[in-house]
Amino acid sequence: MITAENVYKSFGKLEVLKDVSLNVKQGEVVVIIGPSGSGKSTFLRCLNYLEPIDKGYITVDGQPVGKIKKPDGQLVDDSRKNIYRLRSQIGMVFQRFNLFPHQTALGNVMEGPNTVFNTPCSEAKKRAEELLAKVGLADKADTYPSQLSGGQQQRVAIARALAMQPKAMLFDEPTSALDPELVGEVLSVIKDLARDGMTMVVVTHEMSFAREVADRVVFMDEGKIVEEANPKLIFTNPKHPRTREFLSKIL
Amino acid sequence: MKLGPIDIAFQLQILPLLLKGALLTIELTVMAIFFGTIIGLIVALMKISRFKMLAAIGGIYTWAIRGIPLLVQLYILYYGLPQLGINLEPMPAAVIGLSICGGAYIAEIFRAGIQSIDRGQMEAALSLGMSYPQAMRRVILPQAYRRLLPPMGNEFITLLKDSSLVSIIAMTELLRQGKLLSNSTFRSMEIFLMVAVIYLILTTVFIYIIDKLEKRFAVADGE
Ligand SMILES: Nc1ncnc2c1ncn2[C@@H]1O[C@H](COP(=O)(O)OP(=O)(O)OP(=O)(O)O)[C@@H](O)[C@H]1O
Ligand SMILES: [Mg+2]
Repeated sequence: MITAENVYKSFGKLEVLKDVSLNVKQGEVVVIIGPSGSGKSTFLRCLNYLEPIDKGYITVDGQPVGKIKKPDGQLVDDSRKNIYRLRSQIGMVFQRFNLFPHQTALGNVMEGPNTVFNTPCSEAKKRAEELLAKVGLADKADTYPSQLSGGQQQRVAIARALAMQPKAMLFDEPTSALDPELVGEVLSVIKDLARDGMTMVVVTHEMSFAREVADRVVFMDEGKIVEEANPKLIFTNPKHPRTREFLSKIL
Repeated sequence: MKLGPIDIAFQLQILPLLLKGALLTIELTVMAIFFGTIIGLIVALMKISRFKMLAAIGGIYTWAIRGIPLLVQLYILYYGLPQLGINLEPMPAAVIGLSICGGAYIAEIFRAGIQSIDRGQMEAALSLGMSYPQAMRRVILPQAYRRLLPPMGNEFITLLKDSSLVSIIAMTELLRQGKLLSNSTFRSMEIFLMVAVIYLILTTVFIYIIDKLEKRFAVADGE
């Protein structure tokens, strides 16, 4: 579903991603862990071209992300229109929710289909109401984000992303900005998605979540993927000393 | 009807003429706000554009216009351009001058307003698949409007007051009307006091309207 081959990315002199390759199969849940500054967010943002990459090749559902390969192997920039379409097929959930504060919960969820797909209002509204119900917020449809708790905001953000009927979802530390007692409600929504077979890449520090939901855990450090394994293996018997060191600190 | 040296009967007598001038002042200000806002929005979008060329043009525009006194700009427009064969009537010259000048300040207000919106908003909009213009129109600008209103209100009031400068290019707006009257009657104090009071009333009404708008936007925001 998602393939990343030898991805490089620098900000000025700072090399943030160094030869990162990852394959995510249809319906697979991949959890990325790693210390702060290791490039997890940057990698996620490269997957939907919020950050253009310097080198490498990424595809989602067979479509190239941002760069197309010419027959002679050369990479050229893809058209804006294709990039926009590709982004509409990949849902993204942010650490700080980034809900649109000038719109109600319902308005937030309707915004994507309305603006991007020109979905008729009545249809978008119906779907948005269903999605809000799915994340347990049917009664908050007319509430503005400023009046919602962090956990509720993040669930609206998930519904907003789902409204585009994405082929895959990216989560960047979806619970890191939440009070501990609100983490559970968001994780349970993500678990439901996993059960429904959604392809997901989740950056998180919630190790119990990773253990329970992940098909594969990827450990990143200093812009590289150091180790990847199924959660049982990596948590009980990490191979790489860096992984061991990181896990011993966090568990 | 005298208040010390001030003859109120005389003041009432010249009031219609001054009001005629005031009407022109309002006209000028409204047009300058209208065109200045359009110029300002375009220049602001240029300045934050990723196209270096556009950003540079926008930057030079605001730098030059804000660095040159409006009075000098008006002299160039009205007295300078004829030398190049471009003769502007006073009214177009005044509107163009005020709009170009206001546009530069309004551009800075827009730019600051747009850039004050959290970067995450643009990212969230783009990640849904919106194009940059869609994200601007649906997500960024609606949030920027409310923050823009107070500084825009200030700028509108500045434009109203600065419109008095066009009196030097033969526009008979409020101030020049006063000057003409004082030239013919030599009763400067009475006349310019009236002019001052009328300006004060106009700015007060402006502030009132802007205040109302601000409240309206706040309600629409659900806050
Ligand atoms: N837009 C940017 N411009 C410059 N440097 C950046 C930018 N975005 C990220 N960086 C830098 O790239 C490095 C990797 O950042 P990234 O956000 O990907 O790390 P992370 O693994 O997500 O960390 P965290 O766990 O703290 O979120 C950091 O050193 C960061 O300062
Ligand atoms: Mg991060």
